[in-house]
Amino acid sequence: MTARPDPLIHPITRLSICGLLAAGADWVEFAALRDAAGISDSVLSKQSRVLEDAGYVEVRKGAVGRRPRTWFRLTAEGRLAVQGHLAWLAQLEEAFSASTQDPRQARPLPGDRDQPRRVLPPLLGST
Amino acid sequence: MRDVARDPAALELLRVQRSRLADRMRPPWWYLTGVAIMYALVFAFPFASRFLGASIWPFFVAALVVSVPLQWGWTRVTGIKIGFRNLSYPGPGRPARYAVVVVSLAAIVTEHFLIDRGLIVAAIAVAALAVVAEVAAQQALLRGIRQELRGGGGAA
Repeated sequence: MTARPDPLIHPITRLSICGLLAAGADWVEFAALRDAAGISDSVLSKQSRVLEDAGYVEVRKGAVGRRPRTWFRLTAEGRLAVQGHLAWLAQLEEAFSASTQDPRQARPLPGDRDQPRRVLPPLLGST
Repeated sequence: MRDVARDPAALELLRVQRSRLADRMRPPWWYLTGVAIMYALVFAFPFASRFLGASIWPFFVAALVVSVPLQWGWTRVTGIKIGFRNLSYPGPGRPARYAVVVVSLAAIVTEHFLIDRGLIVAAIAVAALAVVAEVAAQQALLRGIRQELRGGGGAA
């Protein structure tokens, strides 16, 4: 598996959905996914459709009595993409924590309210 | 939408979300009670075969009748489907998986042995202990699955 960013999984909502589906369950139900990700119904519907259209997520719809039930799972292609993206993020996190241990890089600049942004660009360029 | 590449806490957030997902796999009382009933049926088989001359099939069917709705209800409540993969899954709960098999076989063999020698009370005690051991193993198995879900099942 190669660690590389995937622009489709890059937004945090889609990363949450894919990361949760890649956690080890075969299928995850809509409400369980929504609650675990901490997002609204509409956001999950919209983002899952994007992932489904890209072939990353498989959706199965059913019903229990009158209540509709929607189940999600990652496709093989989606699993590969998520694993690659998570590995890339893990590398990024590792590099970030290593760089913040370096006092020259970790020292906040006067008036700098967004220190990680000042540290991360060179790291992004190096991956 | 927030850009995760500039947010080193994205993985930390994912860990929290996976932890939330794993917490859904905590067994409610009715699930453990159902598991206990299912194993009680299994371990009642040596008694029934000895005293009623019953074959294994009614017990097998009865255990299925309990376990299928139990599993259905469990999946419905948790919203998570994890099918049987192999005896090694989940990694952290592997000893519990083996324990389920070993305890089942050992208890049935021991019960037969004790019943043949007329030690009925001892056989009942063995069956009761086996049920308790199986419920404990099931809890350990679910703990292993929760741990696996928290860890991402190998995906970072």
